[in-house]
Amino acid sequence: MTGRPASPSTLATAEEPVVFVIDDDPSVREALSNLFRSVGLRAEAFGSAHEFLQCKLPNVPSCLILDIRLPRVSGLDFQAELAKADIHIPIIFMTGHGDIPMTVRAMKAGAVDFLTKPFRDQDMLDAVTAAIERDRNSRDEAKVLANLHALFATLTPRERQVMALVTAGLMNKQIAAEIGVAEITVKIHRGHIMRKMAAKSLPDLVRMAELLGIGPASGRPQT
Amino acid sequence: MMRNPAIRSWRAAEQWLLGSMALALGAAAGIWLLLGPAPTTTPYFIAITLLVASLAASVIMMGLVGRSSRQMEALLQGRASAEARAIETLRNSEAQWKEVFEHNPVMYFMVDATGTVLSVNTFGAAQLGYSVDELLGQSVLKVFPAEERQTAQSNVAVCLGNIGRTHSWEICKIRKDGSTLWVRENAKAVRLMNDQPIVLIACEDITERKQAENALRQSEMYLAEAQRLSHTGSFGWRAGSDELIWSEETFRIFGFDKAPSIKRATVIQRIHPDDRARVLRTTKRALSEWKDFEHGYRLLMPDGSVKHVHARAHAVKDTSSGIDFVGAVSDVTARKRAEVELHEAQASLAHVTRVTALGELAASIAHEVNQPLAAVVTNAAACQRWLDREPPDLKEARATVESIIRDGNRAGEVIQRVRALVNKATDQKTAIHINDVINEVISLVQHQLLSHQVMLRLELSPDLPLVLADRIQLQQVILNLVINGIEAMQPVTDRPRELVIRTCQDETQIMVTVKDCGVGLATENLERLFEAFFTTKPRGMGMGLSICRSIVGAHGGRLSASANAGPGATFQFSLPSNQEGAP
Ligand SMILES: Nc1ncnc2c1ncn2[C@@H]1O[C@H](COP(=O)(O)OP(=O)(O)OP(=O)(O)O)[C@@H](O)[C@H]1O
Ligand SMILES: [Mg+2]
Repeated sequence: MTGRPASPSTLATAEEPVVFVIDDDPSVREALSNLFRSVGLRAEAFGSAHEFLQCKLPNVPSCLILDIRLPRVSGLDFQAELAKADIHIPIIFMTGHGDIPMTVRAMKAGAVDFLTKPFRDQDMLDAVTAAIERDRNSRDEAKVLANLHALFATLTPRERQVMALVTAGLMNKQIAAEIGVAEITVKIHRGHIMRKMAAKSLPDLVRMAELLGIGPASGRPQT
Repeated sequence: MMRNPAIRSWRAAEQWLLGSMALALGAAAGIWLLLGPAPTTTPYFIAITLLVASLAASVIMMGLVGRSSRQMEALLQGRASAEARAIETLRNSEAQWKEVFEHNPVMYFMVDATGTVLSVNTFGAAQLGYSVDELLGQSVLKVFPAEERQTAQSNVAVCLGNIGRTHSWEICKIRKDGSTLWVRENAKAVRLMNDQPIVLIACEDITERKQAENALRQSEMYLAEAQRLSHTGSFGWRAGSDELIWSEETFRIFGFDKAPSIKRATVIQRIHPDDRARVLRTTKRALSEWKDFEHGYRLLMPDGSVKHVHARAHAVKDTSSGIDFVGAVSDVTARKRAEVELHEAQASLAHVTRVTALGELAASIAHEVNQPLAAVVTNAAACQRWLDREPPDLKEARATVESIIRDGNRAGEVIQRVRALVNKATDQKTAIHINDVINEVISLVQHQLLSHQVMLRLELSPDLPLVLADRIQLQQVILNLVINGIEAMQPVTDRPRELVIRTCQDETQIMVTVKDCGVGLATENLERLFEAFFTTKPRGMGMGLSICRSIVGAHGGRLSASANAGPGATFQFSLPSNQEGAP
């Protein structure tokens, strides 16, 4: 957390987190950007949801600070819109007075936090830090999952079948009987699977299967 | 020549008489000769001679008599024609006079001392609807209405008291049919041969003149009355002698005693000292340009009271009277006072509705203050962090402080605007930009627009001339129209809610239009919208538009409503533009 934020061109590729701010009031936008810059956080501010959507989101941990009352599209509607577009970015809502019902809705729809204007700077920074952390984690998870999917894709259909049955807790003999092959063949498949999936142990493979959403059903041949 | 047959017969009778006398003589001589005693030759001869002589004498006599009778006849004839001529002449002139007397369009009456009509001409009787016979021998009072009889009698008495002197008077008479006529009578009493005094009266019909006079008098009376009622006096200004000719009411207004004319210098002293210079400027310019003028000013009356008057004058070219300007001056004090009172009532009502409107806008206003406040707090925190750096980033800190100042001021301005609207603002007209006023209002309703999901489109024409107006009042007009627009679009769900505020101008005025796409205006309500307390809203007061109209009116503009071609309504008001700059 030292030094000035780098220029946008270098940032686009850097791993540095970004805070996005959407508020129709330029003073508020500017003040928030200033606050984030003062703590070395990179901030990008937009006057409307529309402007935000125009920009290509960098693949870095980020969060979105959104005024719950936005012109044209309200903050809440925008939240729903992002969800529909499969953009999962932690949202911190800023609210004014008497916006409690809206806040409740926002929280139910998955907002990570909300702050009432005027807010304490530390509250805002804490909320942002937490949101970015959360995004970093989910990004990491997503990365792991993507990796698993890639590995899983290298398995043959028979190996996938075997993996499903193995992770469902069946013994080799049972699997052999189930799919009608010799027990030794099952063993060979198992070895290939462990290697291809880079699984260190059976429990490791089971966890992977869980993440991939593979159940024994998927291992059974289609009837 | 009418007498000729008579003269001829008279001559024949004369001749016949002489002839028969001669015959009688001859016959007597013959008889004496025949029957006389002892006719002898001598006496016989004598008798015959006598007979012949008498015959001859009778013939001569007859000739003589015939000649003299012819002479006499001629003489008589001459005398008779002269006499006839005289009679003729007399008759002619008498007929003429009779004619004149009868048909002269003057009514002649001759009455005796008791007032009995002795004579009246046909015209005179006819004018009164009578025949001559109907009046002769009657009392002349018959032709006077009851209320004039006394006067008529005394008029006759006056004449009789001054025999030979002509008197004249005007009096009203009554016709047989009951209608009246006005006459002017010239009368004179004279004594007849028998020493009886009579009164000769000639009278002419002056009804028309009298009517005109009456009409004039009445219209003058009406005018005076109208002047008194309307507190408007008239005046003429003789610039040459600097004299004013005033009507009664003008004297009353200015509080001077009535006089044929009054010096302008005297009048000027009565003008309120604060207005005097302005009045003199106006009249001086009017005089030098010979132009109509109009101005309002105050009078400071001797009792210390103040009157408001309004004068208008028209430049005239009337060399005969020497008058250069004629005009009217109205005492508008009562109206001024009523105006002030009305204005005060309106102002306090406007104030109430402003406060009410602001109540509705509370959330919006809170937001408007909160935004800059949030920015200030955030920036202050940021500033602290810039300063806490090692080394402190003074450049960033300074920039941040600038933002803080700006946002702090912005919050203050919102508060001030609200306070101005809440204040009982006094009428303060200044030259202002209408677009600024609109933006100030928008800043207060921004949030209201958002929460009602109303899209605002501003089409503000740049370079509009200034208008001379009270800022707060105009804000109120725009605020009311915007709130009405937002409310009208509340039920709309099938189309975007869009509110357009547009400004434009022509040569003399600027126009502000507020257009919505809401429920629109029902034709039957179009006329009533601006009435006080007309509302179609369950919680409406119905004062918004009525106040808007009076404010715009007080600024010399007009507010009107119209239905859109599509959905919604458009309200437009105009304001005279203030091209000359300051007032
Ligand atoms: N933009 C509009 N569209 C349609 N109707 C309107 C509009 N503006 C005014 N009206 C009609 O005119 C009526 C009178 O308006 P006005 O502003 O004088 O009173 P109000 O809005 O009913 O009450 P308030 O005193 O609170 O303003 C309204 O009740 C409404 O029926
Ligand atoms: Mg209204």
